Amino acid sequence: MNVEKVTGSLIAALLLAAIGASGALAQADQDKQLYEAAKKEGQVSWYSGILTQQICDEVGQAFTAKYPGIQVSAIKTTSQVAFQRLLQDLKAGAVQSDVFTSTDIGHLIYLKSKGELVHFVPPAEKGMVKALQNVDPDGDFHTSWVGLAALLYNTKKVSAAEAPKDWPDLTDPKWKDQIAFGSPNYSGMVGVWTVAMEDRYGWDYFKKLNQLDPLIGRSIDDAVTVLNSGEREVAMGNPASALRSAAKGNPIAVNYPTSGTLMVISPSAVIKGSKHPNAAKLFMEFLADKEYSQILAKNLEQPLRADVPPPAGAKSLADIKLFAPTPQQIVKQLPPNKEKWRDTFGM
Amino acid sequence: MSLAPAPQMPGLPAPAARRRGIGRARLDPASLVWIGAAAILAFLVLAPVLRLTAASFQSADTGGFTVANYLSAYASERRLVALGTSLLYAVAVTAVAIGFAVPIAWAIARTDMPLKGVIRATILGAFITPPYLGAIGWILLAGPNAGWINLAWMRLTGAQAGIVNVYTFGGLVFVTALYAFPYVFVFTTDALDRVSTEMEEAANILGARPLRTIFRITLPLVLPAILGGAIVVFLDTVALFGTPAIIALPARINIATLQLWQFFEFPVRAEEAAAYAVPLIAVTVAMFALQRLILGRKGYVALTGKGGGRQLVQLGALRWAALAFCLLICAFSVFLPFAALAQAAFSKAWGLGFSLGNLTLDNFRYLFAEASNRQTILNTFSYAAGTACLSVGLALIVAYVVSRRLVRGGAILTALCMVPLVIPGIVLAIGFYAVYAPPPLALYGTAAILILGYSTRFLPIAYVNCLAGLRALNPEMEEAVRILGGSQLRAVGSVVVPLLKKGLVGSWLLVFIPATRELSTAIFLVTAKTRVVSTMILDLSENGNFELLAALGFFLLGVTVLIVLAGYRLLGRDFMLRRS
Repeated sequence: MNVEKVTGSLIAALLLAAIGASGALAQADQDKQLYEAAKKEGQVSWYSGILTQQICDEVGQAFTAKYPGIQVSAIKTTSQVAFQRLLQDLKAGAVQSDVFTSTDIGHLIYLKSKGELVHFVPPAEKGMVKALQNVDPDGDFHTSWVGLAALLYNTKKVSAAEAPKDWPDLTDPKWKDQIAFGSPNYSGMVGVWTVAMEDRYGWDYFKKLNQLDPLIGRSIDDAVTVLNSGEREVAMGNPASALRSAAKGNPIAVNYPTSGTLMVISPSAVIKGSKHPNAAKLFMEFLADKEYSQILAKNLEQPLRADVPPPAGAKSLADIKLFAPTPQQIVKQLPPNKEKWRDTFGM
Repeated sequence: MSLAPAPQMPGLPAPAARRRGIGRARLDPASLVWIGAAAILAFLVLAPVLRLTAASFQSADTGGFTVANYLSAYASERRLVALGTSLLYAVAVTAVAIGFAVPIAWAIARTDMPLKGVIRATILGAFITPPYLGAIGWILLAGPNAGWINLAWMRLTGAQAGIVNVYTFGGLVFVTALYAFPYVFVFTTDALDRVSTEMEEAANILGARPLRTIFRITLPLVLPAILGGAIVVFLDTVALFGTPAIIALPARINIATLQLWQFFEFPVRAEEAAAYAVPLIAVTVAMFALQRLILGRKGYVALTGKGGGRQLVQLGALRWAALAFCLLICAFSVFLPFAALAQAAFSKAWGLGFSLGNLTLDNFRYLFAEASNRQTILNTFSYAAGTACLSVGLALIVAYVVSRRLVRGGAILTALCMVPLVIPGIVLAIGFYAVYAPPPLALYGTAAILILGYSTRFLPIAYVNCLAGLRALNPEMEEAVRILGGSQLRAVGSVVVPLLKKGLVGSWLLVFIPATRELSTAIFLVTAKTRVVSTMILDLSENGNFELLAALGFFLLGVTVLIVLAGYRLLGRDFMLRRS
């Protein structure tokens, strides 16, 4: 009896292994097929609302190095601008981008509801950090970037002791004429920040900020520019951009708010009707894979995979207290917040 | 210039040619040319404009006729205020630009002020500077807390607060005017260069004081040019996007183009945007009518077949005051902001200020190391050149047809040529999208749509300039050619174009230079392969990559200066200077 059991389990194990191996072989086959098809297309066009133009170019070059024969042309703009362009393309029936990445998850939800996305689940997604997987239950869009929003300050003008430690500190009257941040009318990340702040402190938070005459730019990264020049002393901004700037020698530092740093999941998807669907899918696979996360870590951004070490010189996600509004909250509250913002700040 | 001897005809003109009078334009090859030009004009200007106007009455949901777009576009107080502010902004900038440009133009064209070459070159530098680049430089100079001027003031006087703030309406107007006044300057000096000083000398002989001569004779003679430049500045300012995005937005000044941008945010309300943009078109028509009213029916012919010369006004000690004024404007426009930008372009981290350890050439190196950057730079200049050729060619033909009254619909052609100037570049780009991107033309993503878009955008500048040049050219010389048996085309080719050569090159440059820095049209029409420097600068400014932005700005300036200098070299010297 024992022998039969053992044999039975052995056979079962062998069968499972065989299935697993054939599964892996099938996967490798699929990958190869995808690569061949993508190679025939020769290029992929990427509307990116994340990172910087230089980093996006770096990603494109790494993609071509891994999959020779396929060029990447990336255009980085703020997310609202990228979305505008995409919608205009769709309206004209002349889709120009193959892959779309935005910091406003509401964009992807909208596109999905209009049937403009191609369903594709990158096999490499399995290796991503659990929390970042399945951001869309149907698998139509996938996380490509984790943006963070924290408090930044100019180290030449503000000592570490005086610097704001938490979100409400920004409304302290001592920061009058000294605050900077972006605008939700351009930046997806700033939009999500308004949803998060309204949730925690009510819209009064922004009315208080308005009393302090902040300098309002466009992108969330405008704050880094303003702090660098010393024009303003404190800001809400992206810690990764700030740390990159500080690494170049600029007088800027980051305070991760004590009650939680805002985490903005920024997904990508393949656009239906694009000219290079296979190359697009391959690119999505690349964004879920190791090389991309390594580029992120090198640039002090958060890698998406557990097998890539966190950036040296920046905190890893595990060490930061995080919070994030749900996609439903973002879809519901971001659009009206843009009007409220204009009513409060005048622009 | 002495009248050239009558051209020797190689024999009698053919009888058929002799029978072709000025009235019988039907079978003339000249009429084919202008019909072709009118067709291209319709393609470039009418199609997007009609599509926009149609869209303004179209319901976004049903596609049917509705006036709801106008109602909702103007229902908001914020948007009405924005429209009013834009007009105020444009008027203020025009006034300041005239205040800068006309005295400098007079000083250069009519007096013995020293260092004219330097001033001209610097104003050229101001002209080719993208206004948003200058705006960024001025933020460094006049930011209320960290601007160089304010820091210097606080250090010198011990004051707690700075003295200037760029984030105000006054700051916005000042910075915009600094990069708009070259238009008025170029138009005015072109006109002054073409007008001989005989009449001023006559006034002097008759005992008029210099100031009286300036205001009663010189300025009125070049009034069409000044007004032409002023109108260009006005309409350009109304449609400006880059500088408002950088200064007005943080200053929380509501400007119409920024409001228009909001219509294209999700959810896109292109139809409402079209409705919002329509009054701006009405403004052009009003502007044009105003120009006609002011100029009336006075004759402005100053370039005739008779000889003339120019004598410079001796200013004496006053020339140093004149020079000081010119240099001050040049400092505001070029020297100061570029010093601020230079500090950034050559530093590793511009927040660190001046220090030897901070100096680097890496920013320039990155510009050329990346293949996509090189492509972007090449794109910018080739598209600008194509645009200049297309729009000047088209403008010259239409301007000739209108100024010589060859057809009856002259006013319509003029209006067509002027309309694009008042449509904000953003809206024009959307119009182009709507008409030319879909099949069968399918131009979206190509260089062609960019060149066409730019050409339409700059057609008014080329047209105004060509028209001003042709207005000063008395038709008697072309009539002389016709009487002697030459065709209309021959008249244009042998007489008009050579006489206007300098003006035409000026027109070409007047289109080429803004085309290299054009942003609002490009922002909607570029794709990854057809990217241009202006959008790259905007993207870099969003990313806070200020060092690279400044390096790119310098590079753009340097190359454009070289191209312009080559152009002036090729054209030879001024033929109006009296040699005695």
